Amino acid sequence: MPRRTSRNLFLPSSTSRRRFLQGSAAALAGVGLSNCRRTIGETTETTPTADTVTDSSQASGTLHIYTWADYTDDELAAQFTEATGIDVKIDVYDSNETMLAKMQAGGGANYSILYPSDYMVTEMIDLGMLTELDKSRLVGLDKMREKWKSPVYNSDNTHSVPFSWGTTGLLYNSEVLTTSPTDWNYLWENSDVLSRKMTMLDDVRETMGAVLSSLGYSYNATDPAELEAAYQKLLELKPSLASFKSFGWQDELLSGDLLLSMVYSVEGIPVSLENPAFKYLIPESGSSLWTDTMVIPTSAPNMDAAYEWINFNLQPKISQETVERLFFATPNGEAMTMLSKDLLENENLFPPEELLAKCEGIAPVGDANALYDEYWTKVTSA
Amino acid sequence: MERGIKRTAALTHIFNLATIQQKLRAIVRPLGLLGPSGVWLLLLVVLPTLLIAELSFVPGLRPGQAIEGYGLLNYIRILEPTYLRVLQRSATFAMGTTLLCLALGFPVAYWLAIMAPKRWRNLLLVLFILPLWTSSLLRTYAWITLLRPSGVINLVLSSVGLPTQGLMNTHWAVYIGMTYSFLPYMVLILYASLERLDLQLLEAAADLGANPRLAFWRVTVPQTLPGIAAGCLLVFVTSLGDFVVPTLLGGPTSMTLSRLIYNQFLGVARNWGFGSALSMVLILMVSLAIALLLKYGDRNPEIYS
Repeated sequence: MPRRTSRNLFLPSSTSRRRFLQGSAAALAGVGLSNCRRTIGETTETTPTADTVTDSSQASGTLHIYTWADYTDDELAAQFTEATGIDVKIDVYDSNETMLAKMQAGGGANYSILYPSDYMVTEMIDLGMLTELDKSRLVGLDKMREKWKSPVYNSDNTHSVPFSWGTTGLLYNSEVLTTSPTDWNYLWENSDVLSRKMTMLDDVRETMGAVLSSLGYSYNATDPAELEAAYQKLLELKPSLASFKSFGWQDELLSGDLLLSMVYSVEGIPVSLENPAFKYLIPESGSSLWTDTMVIPTSAPNMDAAYEWINFNLQPKISQETVERLFFATPNGEAMTMLSKDLLENENLFPPEELLAKCEGIAPVGDANALYDEYWTKVTSA
Repeated sequence: MERGIKRTAALTHIFNLATIQQKLRAIVRPLGLLGPSGVWLLLLVVLPTLLIAELSFVPGLRPGQAIEGYGLLNYIRILEPTYLRVLQRSATFAMGTTLLCLALGFPVAYWLAIMAPKRWRNLLLVLFILPLWTSSLLRTYAWITLLRPSGVINLVLSSVGLPTQGLMNTHWAVYIGMTYSFLPYMVLILYASLERLDLQLLEAAADLGANPRLAFWRVTVPQTLPGIAAGCLLVFVTSLGDFVVPTLLGGPTSMTLSRLIYNQFLGVARNWGFGSALSMVLILMVSLAIALLLKYGDRNPEIYS
């Protein structure tokens, strides 16, 4: 399930996003690719400062992190190095499965911190790949919002620390679409206006989940009859779809060639913040709610530095600053209270509770995975 | 000297020693030369391929699972209409791209190799392969900018009063993108082949009464057939496995073999057994193309050299 691939690959920072708005796809992709591997903070040995939450004298050396491109930037790494004296090296991946495959193949022996999403946390715990966290070494975990104190994917946060969360929704051109969408069914009801001017995600679970949700079923349905119904309904919409795209939709949407795209909030909200003509919407009947976490793999070479990193990111001030730079929702309750009013009142970033209650996390569906994949191949091949 | 050896027994003895040495050298030298690349091929091509071949016979294998038994179920599954359609689409995309590349590439290579001024030739060739120095992802993105409804092509078309095109997110966009991506390979190989074309043969054909068209089909084409075959093979093989272009430019019905394989390994299904079987089919299709090249591509090596 590649998630947020587009910003990972092509829109790594707000600077490039702006350049993107000028229509320079080429420059953009170049920036994105050059950012695929970054090495940060190799320079000075700084002495730990008083700001450091825990005693950092025991941790040293280099911390290798494997994460999504959206979650760390040079500034964050520089701050960390300044506070703890630990060098940070960051590699990025574009899907949970890529990360898992690399770790399973033994190619991730350097990494002390990973950022798996909810369902992947469950899977990695089952595979025995995650270290059980020593809560006495963590500072600030109690500041999590209620919903993330004991999440479904990992009760009591025994192996993972929630880092960010977001939703999936519709990003649309409000200048052209006179009636605003409110729910998934808008796509079917307006398929004539939107004909070949809308995209859905190239992500089986998300797109099938959206259709299931529009039918009143669970995003994680496993009943073959429900999946068949969703397949038929998606097939009905297909002639009106421009494509299934997880990345590459931005250029077409901004130029008006697309009017509506199903997107991940972490990609959609920045576009809506920079260009008021574009609005992000979480459909009424609910969409997916995802959480990304920080974990320590059992193979982690630098456990001390890993705890330092988690504690550093748990600091409300750091969390708040990161959110304001990178635009994702934080599960940290105290950080939320420090956010600017604009961001806090952005209902896309922090949707109202009643809407959140309708959203589901993408959960492992076991054997039904094969069925999802079969229907997906059918939809995209015939 | 040869006659001398035949005459004296002593010399024959020395000659025998020399042949043994020569024979030894004939074995050792190729080993030394081929060794490094041989080890490389063995470790990074042969062994992984064998591993994929093994996994392809494990029905429904998911990562982390133990191998419990072997069977042909993965291959039988490929025969389902859904997957056959994907295979067919990939083959059609690859074949169409190959033909388009040949049709567009041959005149260019011909002009470069035979008609262009000699001192400009190398520069022109470099200019032609210049796009290969940039990322293929980048070039495909550029095609989005060109092809989309409000893109550059339509801007030009509408400014001169012509009807606009709606190729973005269609199969045609995939053909355009792939042809553009792989054309330089075709041109390079055809150029190498046409450059060695014996022009005297063309003159002789003309002397013997062949008109230019006949001379082209009976003299030029047969001489460059190995180049044509090699170029077609390279384009066919690379476009068969292309992932970027169908993903970015194709519409909602652009599932190809490579995308399907990706989905089996890194997508939701994570069915490594089925993915391996699909990979074996891809390898088989490529091998078939190579076998065809070996059979037909080198038919007249003496003309070629």
